[in-house]
Amino acid sequence: MRAATEAKSAAKAAAAAKTTAAKAAVAKAAAAKAAAAKAAAVALVVGLIAALVAVPLVSLARIAAGAGPTGIWRALSGPQARVAILHTVAVAATVTVLAVAAGTALALAIERRPGRRRLALRLGVAGPLVIPEFVLGFAWSQAYGPAGLSDRLAGLTMPGLFGPAGIIAVLTVYGLPLAYLAVTAGLAARADPALERAARSAGAGRWTVLRTVTLPLLRVPLLAAAALVFVTAAGSFAVPQVLGTPAGFATMPTLVYNDLAFSASSAAFTGLTVVALALVVLVLLALGPLDLWLARLRPSARPESPLTASTARTAVDHVVTVIVCAYAAFAAAIPMLTLVLTALTRGPGLLPVPANWTLANFGAGFSGGGGVALLRSAGLALAAAILAPLLGAAVAGLARGRWRGPVATGVTLAYAIPGSALAVGIIIGYGRWLDGSVTIIGLAYVAKFWVFGHRPVQAALDRLPPGLTRAARLSGARPATAVRTVVLPPLRVAMLTAAGLVFILAFHELTMSTILYGPGTETFAVVIMNQQDLGGVGATAALAVVLTAPVVAVGALATWLTHRSSRSARRPPITPIFRNDRGLTYPRRR
Amino acid sequence: MRLHRTLTAPFLLVAALAAVTACGSSTGPADSAGSTSPELTLYTSVTQNTVTAVLNGFDKLHPGTTIHVFRATTGQLNARIAADQHSGGLRADVIWGTDPLSMESYAQQGLFQRWPLPNLTGVPPQDKTTYFWGTRELYLVIVAHKGLTPMPATWADLASPAYKGKVALPDPAAAGSAFAALGYFATAPGFGMNFYDKLKANGAVQVSTIPEVVTDVAQGRYQLGITLDSEVRAAIAEGSPVVLDWPADGAISLYSPIAETTAAKGAAGSAAQTLLRYVLSVPGQTAIGKTGWQPVLPGIAGPARPAGSKEVYPAWTTLFGRQTQILQQYQSIFGA
Repeated sequence: MRAATEAKSAAKAAAAAKTTAAKAAVAKAAAAKAAAAKAAAVALVVGLIAALVAVPLVSLARIAAGAGPTGIWRALSGPQARVAILHTVAVAATVTVLAVAAGTALALAIERRPGRRRLALRLGVAGPLVIPEFVLGFAWSQAYGPAGLSDRLAGLTMPGLFGPAGIIAVLTVYGLPLAYLAVTAGLAARADPALERAARSAGAGRWTVLRTVTLPLLRVPLLAAAALVFVTAAGSFAVPQVLGTPAGFATMPTLVYNDLAFSASSAAFTGLTVVALALVVLVLLALGPLDLWLARLRPSARPESPLTASTARTAVDHVVTVIVCAYAAFAAAIPMLTLVLTALTRGPGLLPVPANWTLANFGAGFSGGGGVALLRSAGLALAAAILAPLLGAAVAGLARGRWRGPVATGVTLAYAIPGSALAVGIIIGYGRWLDGSVTIIGLAYVAKFWVFGHRPVQAALDRLPPGLTRAARLSGARPATAVRTVVLPPLRVAMLTAAGLVFILAFHELTMSTILYGPGTETFAVVIMNQQDLGGVGATAALAVVLTAPVVAVGALATWLTHRSSRSARRPPITPIFRNDRGLTYPRRR
Repeated sequence: MRLHRTLTAPFLLVAALAAVTACGSSTGPADSAGSTSPELTLYTSVTQNTVTAVLNGFDKLHPGTTIHVFRATTGQLNARIAADQHSGGLRADVIWGTDPLSMESYAQQGLFQRWPLPNLTGVPPQDKTTYFWGTRELYLVIVAHKGLTPMPATWADLASPAYKGKVALPDPAAAGSAFAALGYFATAPGFGMNFYDKLKANGAVQVSTIPEVVTDVAQGRYQLGITLDSEVRAAIAEGSPVVLDWPADGAISLYSPIAETTAAKGAAGSAAQTLLRYVLSVPGQTAIGKTGWQPVLPGIAGPARPAGSKEVYPAWTTLFGRQTQILQQYQSIFGA
């Protein structure tokens, strides 16, 4: 009996061992399969980065290197290139200092107020971001230039609008919101008002607190903002083209664009690629030290606590409100109103009064294929808005561990490469097959805006506590369910945000499109730029209104909806419940 | 497995979208031989309404031919042609330019076939070369803001102190006709590049294109400018406060040439020649005349000219081969 029982249990044990071994083998096979799939996916992402970033850069370098050291030196030391390099560095550096200083000051003044008052001021500062750079430059020229609206109404023109002062002013208006948003994010994530209160109660003055507590805590976002503004200003083509060309003020992107017209000879083309490559090197030289500095600074996270120090209105509050309103009116509202009036006025040189109003400019603007170009731009922007977040998710999801750094750098590098250099590199790399096609424009958009698909998704993944999916699995959820219920909800919001951002940027893109378009592939921004070149002021204004209005309308609607939903579902302050291995805190899930 | 499944969908979508975008792209006809409906690609810097009028007329006579058009300023046309050359070769079958100097540059790069229709009649000998023939006559004149007194009488007056800081010039690197004006002044007796030095010293400003000069003068940014007669007439018709000032020493006359490229082969080549023949036919020339330009064929009505108005001609043959040199000289004075 006992022997029989023992035999039975031995058989059971053997069977169990067999099952365990089989399970182990299955698990091993599955793990190997997953590893292979992951390796293939990583290879795909790395391959795509190589195709979109490395190929254009290497193509540029290959042509530029053909000139030899003497040729490169000659191309860079020629009077035009030398002046353009100097202009680019001076403009980008000035804009960076102005935009970061003003953005930081405004963020500190606005972001520690109660929510409702904050929203309107935030919109006033960040508003210009939804206006395409090119449109803003053109609108400023119509509002404040010679024979512009202010000149006609009050005999006032902005001195130096056509030239470096005007370029710096408009690029600062564009860079300021970038700095403002970066610092705002930094204030929310890093600078704890409690530390400032502690310093104040220990007897430190307002300036001492700012200098010794607030700004040091904001070092990381400030550096990031400076990098972003510098890259944007150095690579800007549209604003220097609109405001610099009449004054004979060239920057590197406008020089590359204008030199393309003379680049039929290989010597001229080589010279152009040298300047384009120098622009890339300039941006990377500025970014490199900032990046190293950023890497050395440890992110200092703070526990969640309410941002606002006080809800009482002070005199300073009123001053800030007046400053922001005046700024928003001068920088965006008056130029955009002028743009609408110009679009409605019958001909150049006529007063924008109702007697001269017409809708003919819209008809004229759309007569030469503008409608098709609008659809083409919308299609391209939509494709980029779908592809960039998906590729961003692929990078964020796959490239962990040792791949994370290089892959993220590759994606960021594509954004840092100025559009004119990237476009010329893409023509050399892919023109043989895709020259003048919609595909080549789409390729450039995805390369340039991939980072905007990557960053929000990466941030959302980083905010996910690492144990959460494991916890879901341990609670009995299947892998797919765990991903669907735990990972996807926060990612969905991030991917939608990324898609919206990429859509706007691609819809407004001009620098690369104007170099890459061919027969029947003009984008809407290119049509507007051509109209402006042809002196069709009314038609240019009409098309610019059409380009800007949808994004402004959607932005306003989104803001209103967010505001309404946040008012109707106001929650009590969230309480931190645990920390992850990076020392970041997460709210309790409800 | 999970990873695999999660990623399959996005990558399939990426591939599908890439395919869709590629299908929707238009790279122009690669080779239309064997196709029932011929296709051809036209690169042009001619005004949009003129291109539209001529191609509409052509379409009525040759409804089966599809024409892909790239229309831009001469500067952008140069950039597109250069981009083509650096990525596999020119994609245009026909180039219809604004000025002989830019067209001669293309010819010197070996982009044009010898003129394929030598038996056509009517085009004056001074308006054609071995590679391209003129299609319309353009006249560079002075545009002035309404009410300006005194008005300049001659080209040389633009450099007089009375107009200091009031003159707008079109950019020869962007606009073909401005290039022709540069060619004229560079070689004409009494002017030379010295004329541009004087204009610069007198505060003249370079803007981009010919129409932009008219717009800027209409808006009052500048009081005077060098532009084309047809653009001034169009602005006056719109009610803009500008007047046409035909210089007493003569408007600078140039012809707007057309040519078949070496890329035009097979059916595209035949279609290119059909288009060339149409542009130089009575219906094509009439369409050009109706859009405000002087047709090149004698006897076809163009816009009315002031009585007793004169014209002068750049020395084309002397200028051919010197395009880069004079442009560089100009840019050393007015360059950005």
